[in-house]
Amino acid sequence: MKTKIYESMVLLDNALVREDWKKAKATVTDTLTKYGASIVTCRRYDEKKLAYQIKGKNRGTFVMCYFTLEKDTMAEIRREWELNEKVLRSLILRVEEVPATEHELAAAENNADFVVPAPPPDDMVEEEEPIIDPVPLDEIMVPDLNDVDLDSKA
Amino acid sequence: MAQQRRAPAPPISGKYCEDHMPDYKDVEHLKKFLSAHGQILSRKRSGYCTQCQKALKLAIKRARHMALLPFVG
Repeated sequence: MKTKIYESMVLLDNALVREDWKKAKATVTDTLTKYGASIVTCRRYDEKKLAYQIKGKNRGTFVMCYFTLEKDTMAEIRREWELNEKVLRSLILRVEEVPATEHELAAAENNADFVVPAPPPDDMVEEEEPIIDPVPLDEIMVPDLNDVDLDSKA
Repeated sequence: MAQQRRAPAPPISGKYCEDHMPDYKDVEHLKKFLSAHGQILSRKRSGYCTQCQKALKLAIKRARHMALLPFVG
C-alpha cells in the first residue's frame, strides 16, 4: 500500500491540558504510533472558545498533526479517538503535502524554552474589541444652507 | 406591489477563487460567507464558481464539526 500523508486536527479537553501538556499531546501521538502511523509534525494549534458546547465544555485545545500511514488502520484510529472521553472532536483529512510553515512551528514548540500557556477557566468571558468612539456632534461641521449660493452653480 | 431590489451580484472570475480558496482552519474568512443565522450564502452572494462553492460548503461543514463555527446563529 502506498504511503499517504494525512492531516489530523484533534480537539482536547482543557482539563487534560492543565494536568500536563506532554501527557495531553501523548494521547494523540500514542494512538497514531500504536496503529502504525509515523508522525511528521505534531503541535498545539490553538486554545479557544468553542462555537457550541461539547460535553459541557466551552473551551478546548486544538492539536494539529501531520502523519504518514502505510497500513489500512484509519478506522481503528478514528474509533480510538471516538471512544476517548478526553478527545472532544477529531478530524482526519488526506493531504498532498505537509505545509512548509508546519515544520518551523513544530520545531519552535519542541524547543526547551517553549512553555505551553495554561488554559483559562472554562467560563472565562473574552474581552471584546473596544468600540471606537464616534466623532462628537460639536466637531461635525455642517454648512449653513442659507449661505450656499445655488444660482452660481447653475 | 413594489418589486424587491436584489443585491448586485459580485464579480465572478477565476482570479477571485484562486485568491480566496476556502480552508476550514481560516475561520475569519469563512465567517464572511455565513448569514446572521449561520446559513451558508448562495453562490450568487458569495461570488465563488461552482467548484469553489462546493469547496466552501465542505470547509464550513468541517469547521462546524470542529466547533470552530456555529451550526445556528
